Amino acid sequence: MIRRDLKLTNRLGLHARAASKLVQTASQFDAEVWLERDSRRVNAKSIMGVLMLAAPCGAELVLEVDGPDEEKAVEALAGLIERRFGEDE
Amino acid sequence: MSLVLTGIGTTSGIAIGRVHRLTPGELSLPEFHLEADAVEAEIERVQKAVDRGQRFLADMHEKVTGEGGDTARELLEAHRLILRDPLLVEATCDRIRDERINAEWALVKQSEHLIAEFKRMDDDYIALRREDLEQTVNLIQRELAEQPPSLIGSQVPHQLDTTIIIAPELGPADMAVLHQRRVAGLVTEHGGPWSHSAILARGLEIPMIVGVHHALDVLNEGEPVILDGHYGALLASEDESLQRHYQDKLEVTRQHRTDLRRYLSRPSQTRDGQVFQLFGNAELPQEFQRCRDDQVAGVGLMRTEYLFMGDALPDEETQFRAYRQALRTMDGLPVTIRTLDAGSDKLPPSMAIGQGPNPALGLRGLRLSLAVTDLFRKQIRAILRASVEGPVEVLLPMLTSVEEIKHARRLIGECRRELRSEGIETDPALPVGGMIETPAAALAVDRLAAELDFMSIGTNDLIQYVLAIDRQDELVSYLYEPAHPAILELISRTVDAGRKHEIAVTVCGELAGDDQAVRLLLGLGVNRFSMPPASLPAVKKSLLEASARQCCKLVEDYLNGSGTETGEKLLESLMRDETA
Repeated sequence: MIRRDLKLTNRLGLHARAASKLVQTASQFDAEVWLERDSRRVNAKSIMGVLMLAAPCGAELVLEVDGPDEEKAVEALAGLIERRFGEDE
Repeated sequence: MSLVLTGIGTTSGIAIGRVHRLTPGELSLPEFHLEADAVEAEIERVQKAVDRGQRFLADMHEKVTGEGGDTARELLEAHRLILRDPLLVEATCDRIRDERINAEWALVKQSEHLIAEFKRMDDDYIALRREDLEQTVNLIQRELAEQPPSLIGSQVPHQLDTTIIIAPELGPADMAVLHQRRVAGLVTEHGGPWSHSAILARGLEIPMIVGVHHALDVLNEGEPVILDGHYGALLASEDESLQRHYQDKLEVTRQHRTDLRRYLSRPSQTRDGQVFQLFGNAELPQEFQRCRDDQVAGVGLMRTEYLFMGDALPDEETQFRAYRQALRTMDGLPVTIRTLDAGSDKLPPSMAIGQGPNPALGLRGLRLSLAVTDLFRKQIRAILRASVEGPVEVLLPMLTSVEEIKHARRLIGECRRELRSEGIETDPALPVGGMIETPAAALAVDRLAAELDFMSIGTNDLIQYVLAIDRQDELVSYLYEPAHPAILELISRTVDAGRKHEIAVTVCGELAGDDQAVRLLLGLGVNRFSMPPASLPAVKKSLLEASARQCCKLVEDYLNGSGTETGEKLLESLMRDETA
């Protein structure tokens, strides 16, 4: 299992489009993927779960991945967040 | 009695027909407890319903094209994500197992639970998601009941081309069925211009008015109505002159379209015998089909930017398949593929070079390709591999100098050798052309032409750069003047350079799709035009009826200062020539 702390830096935070990208990316892996914000923990393969985090820009998240391809999954997801979901700024 | 109801038109179309009221029958949702041995079968029912729902949405996703198609697809994508969401599907299955209840009941309970969660979040954004959730749950419920995914069942006639549907609201599934049955028009009581059904109506090109309150209260089944999407008005009137007015209007639009289409099969020759060629601009697969149907001489501009719109850059294989598909659809007609014409904002941040202070004058077009050569190589390799499928040409955007052409040609040569050493066959004669769209390229066109196999004039950028006007800027847009002598001069130079070096010159900007401006271009000696397929019929008519000699004379006089004084007047006199 891998845990990693991340910070959202894209302007809109986890809005619909970003959440969709996150869920689509997470779903590519066999590993279980969880996201935590404050006391809330959601399945990162669930679009509604991710939206319910209602995480704005600047929010701090914990990514937890557990499974055979966990390393790749962490790289991909952390990369996506660090690249601000490919948004313009 | 006359009655006018108003709402918001989502497209400008007109529809005439009789009312069919569509009031949703409530689905009966049974609720009962299960025996222990029935649990697994019930869970399987849910899985199957979800699978069918997925297939339905995937189908729908393919059908949506046209204006607004991207938004519609994005929306359907959201529904597909919800349909796969463990919080919906797995949690419903858990309820079936833990509470020993049937699928419909478990689904209702779970969706109510989720909606309650959503409600606690005070965010407009989430409210929108609620609509998505409700529609998705509804889709599963209908699948569970083994009903078609849409409201529209056997009670609705199969041919709807003279029917206007009035409903409280319509879901994506309803829209798909209505589209299949060629519905004339749609009216909903609820929803705004950005509601899902409105977005889909735009994508499917169905005239629609949304937000017509109480429409179902005042309209009777079978009543004749007129839907005017432009004004967002629904007219229920016995007034014959009004009906005739709209009937005529509809007829004129239809007739005009069919009339113009007749010209497409005529030989491409002006009234005085000047031969010309019309090409289509195409990007998506269905646009290539449209070009073929419209009897073009080829595709004069295949933009490739859409391939680069996704999250990741397209690999060589993806591009190869797109180019091959285009060539196969065109079945032997030439296709000109323009290499990526985008700014550095299209790069994923991992490769980003950063954006300069003025993107319009920054690292874009061919400059980007030559800066990030990996990107360019992949695209060129894909084009070269596709080149055995049919005649293909490479078009380089945003040229300013001969060095750029040489650099690009070197890279193309390298890719060709690489492929040969890998044992992959390519067309040895891949022509390389350049866009003439910067003042530098147009002024040095003689030198550039010496290094090119063909040229395309991109009038949109050329006009902006030459006149130093951003058309989007409303403070200066009045200065945007396609017939400005400076522009005409540069087009004329390019045409001359093409003649001198015996290479083809095509105009592929907006001007080439304008039935007036093409006469101006004809007068400048242009005889190859590339435009969106929708413009082909009107442009062809205009050119067939023109006299090339007359157009040349009018343009020449204008440029000498001895003819008409303004560009606007010039265009008028060019069009008047018809009856001469």
